[in-house]
Amino acid sequence: MNAVALVKQVPDRNSAFRPAGDWIDESSLGYGINDYDRYAVEAALGLKEAGHAAETVAVTAGPADAGQVLRSCLAMGADRGVHLITDRAHLADPFFVARALANAVSGLDAGVVFAGLLAEDSGHGQVGGLVAGLLGYSFASAATGLHFRDGRLEAHRELEGGRIAVVELRLPAVVAVQTGINTPRYASLRGIMASRRKPVERIELAAPADGGGLRRLTLGRPERGASAEILPGSPQEAAAALVSRMRAGAGISFPGDAA
Amino acid sequence: MSRRVLILAERSESGITDASYELIEAASRLAGGPDGVSAVLPVGDASEAEGLREVLPAGELLLVEGPAHASPTADGTAAAVLHAREASGAECVLLPHDPVGWDVAPLVAARLGTAAATAVSALSWREDGIAAKRSAFLGKFVQEVEAPGLPAVATVERGAFPAREPGPALSVRILPSPVGPGDLRSRLVEVRDAGAGGVDLTAADVVVAAGRGLGGPENLDIVRELANALGGVVGASRAVTDAGWLPHELQIGSSGATVSPKLYVACAISGAIQHLVGMRGSRFVVAINKDPDAPIFGAADVGIVGDALEVIPALTEAVRNSG
Repeated sequence: MNAVALVKQVPDRNSAFRPAGDWIDESSLGYGINDYDRYAVEAALGLKEAGHAAETVAVTAGPADAGQVLRSCLAMGADRGVHLITDRAHLADPFFVARALANAVSGLDAGVVFAGLLAEDSGHGQVGGLVAGLLGYSFASAATGLHFRDGRLEAHRELEGGRIAVVELRLPAVVAVQTGINTPRYASLRGIMASRRKPVERIELAAPADGGGLRRLTLGRPERGASAEILPGSPQEAAAALVSRMRAGAGISFPGDAA
Repeated sequence: MSRRVLILAERSESGITDASYELIEAASRLAGGPDGVSAVLPVGDASEAEGLREVLPAGELLLVEGPAHASPTADGTAAAVLHAREASGAECVLLPHDPVGWDVAPLVAARLGTAAATAVSALSWREDGIAAKRSAFLGKFVQEVEAPGLPAVATVERGAFPAREPGPALSVRILPSPVGPGDLRSRLVEVRDAGAGGVDLTAADVVVAAGRGLGGPENLDIVRELANALGGVVGASRAVTDAGWLPHELQIGSSGATVSPKLYVACAISGAIQHLVGMRGSRFVVAINKDPDAPIFGAADVGIVGDALEVIPALTEAVRNSG
């Protein structure tokens, strides 16, 4: 039984994004691994290190240069990668992506499949769950903890109000992890060297058929219906102006106020 | 054109959740009125739902009943939703964009051979499908998507629609569940309250929240000093608690605490939608951020664009000197 991590290549989060057409201007962006997915990779590595998985396999769908995120997974310690090659534009439909990933995962003898809770760019937050649904695997989202005992996987899920649901999952299972579930390791120099010799299987995907799950229409900045009044001046000037606004707006006094 | 819309209703100790009433409002607008809304409630025993009929203002309440639903699970709830969808003939299924919806929506969508439109704030019909406005790039952008084909599935962002007032359901149907406990692949072991760390964020009049833009835990002291000067408590964004700078119980947002203080000061928080959901009830919101495009300024009353490491100490000083 293997541990699988589903990862996505996304634009660097510190880029200056500009909407263009139905998506962003991609002409001068740096790319890297989706932050949430680093936690998925770490969870998969942890499962193997604890003796519950034979191999860790990282799987991605994306264009040729998305191979870089598989390399970073291999450098972290994953044993091998599977790259489902498709145009970046085809990643617009989570159903297309999930079906391709599910096909790949079904041949990997997966015990547990980890995914990030969502991708920083599209933010659909459902590819892991779709893969589980398509394969008939168990599923838990928003996992902040994992325990493995007697061949059973226990996931801690974060609910609203800070409550935690403890869920027992039959294997195979897909777990969509929250950031903070673990501390993703950095690749060591040795890991980076070793990653060059690790195998990556490349599979060309056929273009999506008509229909599918989702199509992009537009992308824009949110309306600022009730946008903040920005206070001008130096930090000191702005801060001084802010104090009276806070007192009046919130209708409260502060500890230092004269009684 | 009137098409039926199904929502998943959720129970809490105090009855039906606010999220459910927001879903009913969203569904009612899409269906052209509350009569076109069906609400599904999975129950272990239909007697649990006595009285709920009076407060669920939908066209029909579908109780999917069976021991598999005595406690909720992702696959059990998904099976109940799919069963109710067939029974109601609904052409769109709405779920909350919260940990319940994140679990259930993709399982429902996969079975219907589609993807869900998630984090949705507006919905409309297309000739054959739906169009939805949703949040993308962690709240930085609003995206419009089309989900071709019906039935469609969507998860609705908290607060995007007002909660509908409670009222009676026109009819109630009890549907025997299509799944038994042995069919389920997951089991709810327990729900734990997070250990409150002694600070009750939800009861505080003033919350000063720390964000990732502060750079590191060594810079939290200036936030604590500001909170002290304001007589408030320190909270945090998810990025800060994930990074271990502050304990998880101080996290404000859809997966953490929901606060409604009189004064909320967001320090170097960009304002991802998941954070905004947790502080939207605040009376007066102040944002301090160096990025003038940060979404937090759209949720604030007053803002200062600048380096939080300079502005926060200046504000603390100004508060102390103002008494």
